[in-house]
Amino acid sequence: MPPAVTPGTTWASLLATAWCFATVGECVAQTTGTMDVGFSTVRYDGFRASGAASITPAVRWDRPGAGVTARGSYLRFESGHRSLQGVVAASLFTPSELLPRGWRGEFAISGGGSRYADFASFWHAIGEARMHLVAPGRGAWLSAAAGRTSYGSSPRPVAVAGLGGWTRRGWLILTAAASRSFIGDTAYSDVASTAEVRAGRWELSGSVGARLASRGGGHGVYGQGGATLTLSEGIAVLVSGGRYPTDPVNGSVAGRYLTAGVRLRTATLRRPAARDPAPLGRPPAGADGDPLSGPQLEIESSSDGGIRLRLHVPPAAHSVELAADFTDWHPMSLERVAEGVWEVVLRVASGMHRLNVRVDSGKWLAPAGTTHAADEFGGQVGMVAVPPPPPPPPR
Amino acid sequence: MTRLVTRDVVALLGGVLVMTRAVAQQTDARLERLDETTRPAVIAIVDSVRAAGLPVNPLVERALEGATKGAPPDVIVAAVRRLAGDLGRARDALGPGATAIELNAGAEALRAGAGPDVLARLRRARGRQSVTMALAVFTDLVARGVPVDTAATAVLALAATVRDEDLVEFRRAVERDIAIGAPPAAAASIRLNAAAREARPGRP
Repeated sequence: MPPAVTPGTTWASLLATAWCFATVGECVAQTTGTMDVGFSTVRYDGFRASGAASITPAVRWDRPGAGVTARGSYLRFESGHRSLQGVVAASLFTPSELLPRGWRGEFAISGGGSRYADFASFWHAIGEARMHLVAPGRGAWLSAAAGRTSYGSSPRPVAVAGLGGWTRRGWLILTAAASRSFIGDTAYSDVASTAEVRAGRWELSGSVGARLASRGGGHGVYGQGGATLTLSEGIAVLVSGGRYPTDPVNGSVAGRYLTAGVRLRTATLRRPAARDPAPLGRPPAGADGDPLSGPQLEIESSSDGGIRLRLHVPPAAHSVELAADFTDWHPMSLERVAEGVWEVVLRVASGMHRLNVRVDSGKWLAPAGTTHAADEFGGQVGMVAVPPPPPPPPR
Repeated sequence: MTRLVTRDVVALLGGVLVMTRAVAQQTDARLERLDETTRPAVIAIVDSVRAAGLPVNPLVERALEGATKGAPPDVIVAAVRRLAGDLGRARDALGPGATAIELNAGAEALRAGAGPDVLARLRRARGRQSVTMALAVFTDLVARGVPVDTAATAVLALAATVRDEDLVEFRRAVERDIAIGAPPAAAASIRLNAAAREARPGRP
């Protein structure tokens, strides 16, 4: 689903609003409506790509000291399944005379929900307090958020603490932020840095981030980029792509995506004061991994009662090895059976197993087709569940 | 005569005891692959875990994994020590009758974020059936992005009524739904409901 406005993603728009304060007088209240129509391709770790067409209407109301955003999204997947999502977020800044010069308090709320294929739904409601220290061209903030998120019948508590800073140099805005999140049993830390450039009809944005110290929220380095070209006052084309982490608040999983679309605007912003922080038209639930550029594993039962492990690798590969708990982590050479296809048949007990593969004596990799997990040795390990053998046919 | 028989039996039992102890103390030959810094520390952990009646094979395999990947000695030892702790907690939760494979799966589930109570409830729900596949499916779901408590709810709900093959099929179905764009938690809930509808009491 397109990204909901969550504590992890609201900061940039609220930051922009804070910047608006620093240049108050240039900002005026306005309402902006947009409609994004696009197509996304998304790939989860270990899976083939899936496509989705999306329509995303959004309305923003901004004025100095307050802003409200409402966004909806309708998606149609390749499978024919549909998804509806909606989110509303609002923020209010404290009056300038309430706090010492340069300091601003902010209160924000966001709530949203989604429905997938008529039989699954989630919702979240988050409240957040921030303290900004704002100066012309730069600023910093501390934040704390709390709320609830629910998938079905069991709401989970959400708590997020964060800090960050930003600076503006002409047409370039740079930000850096860090946060620690607790969602039910899940906990993780995020660090991220973003650069935004606005020059003429172009808007470019890029971000890199990492998820660290995670328990149930995934690990990894992430990056996204996007470009928007304004063709006329009411029409822009946009392209965005990258990898993003799992968001346990709205249920999206880490993923890799590429989106192209058209944006129709009902009005243009007089200033780029508060813009949607999320890459435009991000796909419904992300994709992850590097399944097509790296080895891809298939597992199937062999006729002799063993397990056939088949790896798809680049055709130029000269050797492919596998090491796993069922080989006592002795590298085992696979046999080339076709161009780019290597395999081995082994006796493997049912249960969960850990494995890695490498091509041409390169780095040990967790192949696509397995569940990736941190291996405690600075890399990743692929995990596969081998089912018990089928019962013998009745005589 | 009776005294002679008694003496022979005592001697035999003593011999068996000594041999058993010697075999138990024997170092796993696979650990020879570790370097001289890592090996003694891993052997010490393995011996203490063996003395506690826990399976040592997962520890040996974890050490070998680290060695194959060229990890530094302290990282390998830390990983083995962590796994030893997880195995102990898994046995506390699953009970003294848990098999080595179940304990290993339990340790992975704990590492993924399951609480000991989830393991204990799975044990009760599965009765005499193995909990290995249920734990493996739980761990896999969490690794795919399903929140821990959602995965636990799903697997616990299925554990009492379905077979291992059904749990694997449940996992595959969730995987498929995630692949076409469903949020992981929603995908798990969908499949949980579908599996609950399909479950048949007393299904062989």
